Amino acid sequence: MKALIIGYGSPIRGDDAIGPLAADRLDSLLERGELPDWIEIQSRHILTAELVEDLKRADLAIFLDAAADTPPGEVHCRALQPDATALSTMAHFHDPRELLAWCEALYGKAPTAWLISAGGAEWGYSNCELSDTASAAMEQMIGQVMARLGLAKPAASATTGVMERA
Amino acid sequence: MSRTISIEPVTRIEGHARITLQLAETGEVEDAKFHLTQFRGFEKFCEGRPYREMPALTARTCGICPVSHLLSSNKACDDLLAVTIPPTAEKLRRIMNFGQLVQSHALSFFHLSSPDLLLGWDSDPVKRNIFGVMQTDPQLAKNGIRLRQIGQSIIEILGGKKIHPTWVVPGGVSDALTEEKRQAMLAMMPDALRIAKETYAFFKTLVPKFKDEAEHFGTKPTMFMSLVTPKGNLEHYDGLLRIKDAQGRIVEDMVPPRDYQRIIGEAVEDYSYMKFPYYKPIGYPKGIYRVGPLARLNNADACGTPFADVALAEFHMLQEDSGPITSSFHYHYARLVEIIFALESIERLLKDPDILNPRIRARARGNRSEGIGVSEAPRGTLMHHYKIDDHGLISWVDLIIATGHNNLAMNAGIKQVADAYVDGNDVKEGMLNRVEAVIRCYDPCLSCASHAFGQMPMVIDIQDATGRVVKRLTRD
Repeated sequence: MKALIIGYGSPIRGDDAIGPLAADRLDSLLERGELPDWIEIQSRHILTAELVEDLKRADLAIFLDAAADTPPGEVHCRALQPDATALSTMAHFHDPRELLAWCEALYGKAPTAWLISAGGAEWGYSNCELSDTASAAMEQMIGQVMARLGLAKPAASATTGVMERA
Repeated sequence: MSRTISIEPVTRIEGHARITLQLAETGEVEDAKFHLTQFRGFEKFCEGRPYREMPALTARTCGICPVSHLLSSNKACDDLLAVTIPPTAEKLRRIMNFGQLVQSHALSFFHLSSPDLLLGWDSDPVKRNIFGVMQTDPQLAKNGIRLRQIGQSIIEILGGKKIHPTWVVPGGVSDALTEEKRQAMLAMMPDALRIAKETYAFFKTLVPKFKDEAEHFGTKPTMFMSLVTPKGNLEHYDGLLRIKDAQGRIVEDMVPPRDYQRIIGEAVEDYSYMKFPYYKPIGYPKGIYRVGPLARLNNADACGTPFADVALAEFHMLQEDSGPITSSFHYHYARLVEIIFALESIERLLKDPDILNPRIRARARGNRSEGIGVSEAPRGTLMHHYKIDDHGLISWVDLIIATGHNNLAMNAGIKQVADAYVDGNDVKEGMLNRVEAVIRCYDPCLSCASHAFGQMPMVIDIQDATGRVVKRLTRD
């Protein structure tokens, strides 16, 4: 079993930093030996094409991101499917579904994937600083990650569902 | 009745742009324009900031080219400090620059342009994308991902992160290279060089298929500008400016970057947020020139690494005459040669016994009121020019971006392609794709290039977090 956790977002745009900061929190747990070594954690600004090289080796992929279209503080957990139509307009960052589709097209398989997203409250310029709302949401995100990894139960306030294709 | 065809957005490029084709009543193309539709404002909102912030600020112009901005900006800061950085720091900066070039050129060739090159300009647009490439040649797609991964990994190993690394600093770099990191980068080189050489060999077999495109994709005579070494060889980090004309005659040579304003001027047009740099002694717009891989290889007397020198000689055989390669289509070829050169250079630098030297930073306070930093970004010559006040705060900024240098040429290129391929009475998708494709030859980064300077009227509102306008800047 190999799990890949990717937290992504801009560290200088308020709550958009929640993805990479959540990944950093999990990484500190990994470094202290509180997470098993079959987990790999990456903290990124954006999702780029070469992540396909990492996805191909994973059985499970968990993406962590902030959401502007979600009520502040709410945490959603959605299964992701490879989607070749989710082509990004800018070549230097990609939708996770697109990367999963690349992985499937090139290597015949894609990992089971989840997107755990938290509604952000503030998006102004800052430096790796979250609003109180987002900070509280991060705890729920980490709880959801643990649940997906089979290491903990999910938090009661999180919702689950399948992302509909556009 | 005349009409206008608008191609928006221009696809498979970095950033947002529009192309308009003005058709006469007969259906012929009367005019073509390339419009940059996004505005950034870096040259204005950086005013008042401490100069040491400029590398971090300007790196955020773009997520593809942050290293290029970091390097040119830090070179401008080095100039403000009036220091010569330690030799090891220069070598390390060069390695990062080459890593950037590898990943950027890989993205351009494998992901942005290969759909056209492999599937054809007239192929079904629904399939003419990276997934179409994966179905047609999965190994090519995998090679592109792997090469980009290697380039990004070099940046991350050196700088601590792939996007907006902070390791390059005024005076040098912040941390010396460890043996562990050196070995990690060296371990990637055999695979990287294998992919680069295989791709180069493969593309050579495709070139004869594109004879028509090579004849029409931006072949109008222009000058070529780039940095070169003091011996006239291929250069990406430092060096001196050289300009050759379309016949290969040297127009300017060994120009110190600090003197760039003698030879480069900037104009603006009301239809684009991108500036129009031009060769000043000739004037605007006849002082048209190109930068980037095509210009660098045209200007260089040699590469200086074994396989790249062989490839450079083959590059010069793309045309029957002995002059510069004039077709913008051959930017693709030049990029592949540069990838090989970059990888051979990275390997050589990593094997240099000095590369682990702990002396990696010169320290000083601001000693000049004006600093200029010029390097070769993947897309061409990148110029950062700062002026500071007595407190070290930025009072003036000019950024001349690689893609901006090519603005006149890109506009001329789309007109030429439109003349050759667009029939206004029977417009087909493949015709318009070719118009876009000539822009892709230049691999423009429009996020970087959207700077306005000069007489363009505009209003800028600066808002606080609540949306309240705290300052309004206007220019009539």
